[in-house]
Amino acid sequence: MKSATVPTVFIIDDDRGMRQAIYDLVESVGLRAESFATGEEFLGTTQIGRPSCLVLDVRLPQMSGLDFQRRLAETGMQIPIIFITAHGDIPMSVRALKSGAVEFLTKPFRDQDLLDAIQQALQRDRTAQEQQAEIHDLQERYDALTAREQEVMTLVVSGLLNKQISSEIGASEATVKVHRGHVMHKMRAGSIVDLVRMADKLKLSPRK
Amino acid sequence: MADEDVQKTLAELSRDLQESKARLEEAQRVAHVGHWEWDLESDVVVWSDETYRIFGLRPQERPMDLAAVRAMVHPEDRESLYRGVDENLVDGVRPEAEFRIVRPNGELRTVHSVTPQRWTSTPGAAKTDASGRPYKLFGTVQDITDRKRAEEALKQSQFYLSEGQRLAHMGSWASNDLGIRWSDDLGIYWSDEVYKIYGLDPQNGAPNLKRYLATIHPDDRASMAETIRVMHEQRCGCDVTKRIVRPDGEVRYVRCVGVPVFEGGVFKAFHGTTMDVTEHELLTQELRRERAYLTEAQSLTHTGSWACNLFTREIFHSSDENARLYGFDPSQGTVPFDRFYNGILAEDEVALRAKLENAIREGEDYDIEFRIRRTDGAIRFLRGIGHHNPSQEMGEYVGITMDITERKRAEEEREKLRQLEADLAHINRVNMMGELAAALAHEIRQPIAASITSANACLRWLARDPPDLERARAAAARIEQDGNRAADVINRMRSFYKKGAPPERGIVDLKDIIREMTALLRRETVRHSIKIHSELDVDMPTVLADRVQLQQVFMNLMLNAIDAMRDTGGELTIRSRLTPERQLVVSIGDTGVGLPAENTERIFDAFHTTKPQGTGMGLAITRSIVEAHGGRVWATANQEAGATFHFTLPAKPEADA
Repeated sequence: MKSATVPTVFIIDDDRGMRQAIYDLVESVGLRAESFATGEEFLGTTQIGRPSCLVLDVRLPQMSGLDFQRRLAETGMQIPIIFITAHGDIPMSVRALKSGAVEFLTKPFRDQDLLDAIQQALQRDRTAQEQQAEIHDLQERYDALTAREQEVMTLVVSGLLNKQISSEIGASEATVKVHRGHVMHKMRAGSIVDLVRMADKLKLSPRK
Repeated sequence: MADEDVQKTLAELSRDLQESKARLEEAQRVAHVGHWEWDLESDVVVWSDETYRIFGLRPQERPMDLAAVRAMVHPEDRESLYRGVDENLVDGVRPEAEFRIVRPNGELRTVHSVTPQRWTSTPGAAKTDASGRPYKLFGTVQDITDRKRAEEALKQSQFYLSEGQRLAHMGSWASNDLGIRWSDDLGIYWSDEVYKIYGLDPQNGAPNLKRYLATIHPDDRASMAETIRVMHEQRCGCDVTKRIVRPDGEVRYVRCVGVPVFEGGVFKAFHGTTMDVTEHELLTQELRRERAYLTEAQSLTHTGSWACNLFTREIFHSSDENARLYGFDPSQGTVPFDRFYNGILAEDEVALRAKLENAIREGEDYDIEFRIRRTDGAIRFLRGIGHHNPSQEMGEYVGITMDITERKRAEEEREKLRQLEADLAHINRVNMMGELAAALAHEIRQPIAASITSANACLRWLARDPPDLERARAAAARIEQDGNRAADVINRMRSFYKKGAPPERGIVDLKDIIREMTALLRRETVRHSIKIHSELDVDMPTVLADRVQLQQVFMNLMLNAIDAMRDTGGELTIRSRLTPERQLVVSIGDTGVGLPAENTERIFDAFHTTKPQGTGMGLAITRSIVEAHGGRVWATANQEAGATFHFTLPAKPEADA
């Protein structure tokens, strides 16, 4: 993973003049820019660094910007998108925004509008990145638990008392307490509430 | 016997004699018969008073002798008369003679002189001497001039009659049986010519009924028998033409005319004529046939023939079809010139009259087209061709008139279609212009957007501390490039957008346009189950406008309405009304999706579109056309469903409407 401090703005526009202009504008504010004429080119050659965002022309030669957005979502690539278009209409922009686009700009746009959108997108990406990092961390901790500890954690976050857990897993209350202590420690949870939040982030399904 | 008695007797005798003489004189005067005595010895001639009168003299005016008599005989008759007399005197008697005399006043008379008996045997008439030679002649003379003239006239007329009959193939007949008695015997008299016509021998006499009917052609026999029966029963005349078959097999047409003759109200006989009309009949049939062909041809080609004097407005001939062209019933008799002429439409009449007057004056042929209002009210196009024969009177023309309405209509229809095609081509071109404009707008937008962005970038490079001049210069270079790119696009666009012909304003009836557009969009409307319904002001005034542009306005608005109902079907309503300010308001409503909730006014902006395929040009073009015509256009939402687009156009002022 590259340095998280150098955000990258990817630009896909088939119009060379437009592509270069945006590239230059982005660099003029100290951001890194990479530009592509087609979506395929972008997918084929780029390792996507973080944080980053995508400035995407709606009308592309082979695949429309909207279709490209869908395709990215399908491949699990999460990157904030700013749409730009020379002839947008209302339904098109609605569709784009509903599919998670950060902004929909009509050419020609004010430079500040684009830069603001880029900043917003990068911030969104940064947040997403942090969330992903946190989950990753939690997952590592969770994976470090023994099977019994994982079982106890699930029952704890489901709100069961030690006595109930004991009868559930067929162990003494004292043993349950020991497991519970290990879980809290390994997961670095300060409280039960903390642990529940972690389980939530890990999408552990509580026992009913 | 006493002398007295004798005297008395003599006196009585003398009186009787005087009376007899007076009576004789009177009788002679009444009968125009005179007598004469000629003493051959003395040549003295004694005439009665009437003889004097016959010779144009006063009675006993002067004593007569042979020489005096001779002098009064017409010179041409003198010799033969006296030679006859001399011969008679030698050979015996010439009982009578006819000769002309010349009266003293020069008048010619014809007289008939008779010596009643041979004097040899009748001493009362001629006196003979002892030797038996007559010495005195006696005779009468009668003025037969009038009778003679009547005879001459009769002879003449008989001659003419028979000659005429011969020449005319006409015979005469008379029958007193026909009509009195219904019998086999016709009791008929035929003149020679009748026999000749029937090819029969006069020696065999006139035919009886059976033989007569046998001469009639089998096809005409029954009707002829019926004619004779009716004549017999009703004693009425006849005028029939029938065919006969001559003994040699030749068929002839014979016309038979008969009239009943009454005397004092009592039927006497039938008189009649028989004519061989074969040639006439064949000619008539031929003419009838020709005429039928001609009539048929005229009717098929809607062509009437005529002959008239355009100057005196006299019609000599007008065929049935000619009358029909104008809507007249040919069976109602001849139509006077003015009734034909008055059918011509007033707006065509002026030009027509000028042409005719010119043709008449120059004695030239003419070929003209004009419209008439037929008696049934229909407007028809006619073509008239007139031919003037220089040998004829001034203004005398023969010609034809043709109904060319269908041809004209077809021409008009073709012209309309051609016009519509041209208009459509124009509309297509305009539509294409719309597409083109949209495409070009996109192309221009790109470089402009790029150069604006580059300009922004450039400013940012310059604003750095220290300014990054290298990057700023590169950005400025791109601005130039993109600026040029935009200019190129515009140049390209210019070559497409040759400013079209300036709008041509003319009088336009919106009803026509609506009808055309409705027809044009029929397929679209049917496909999307859309009903077009129009509520137009009956007295909708015309407008002064560019027809093609108005077609576009209707086309755009109607297409919009159809688009709005594309998925649902519905009703497209076209309404018109006239405001008191003489603004014509046309409203085109649909029952479709309706207007966008906001920015109703923006829908008329160029490139503003809510349709996936739309260019956003339709309403913009509509607005610019309507506004160029001094009107305005707006849209309202319907209470129930859909939207209505309205536009106004100034109506043409009534004064010159």
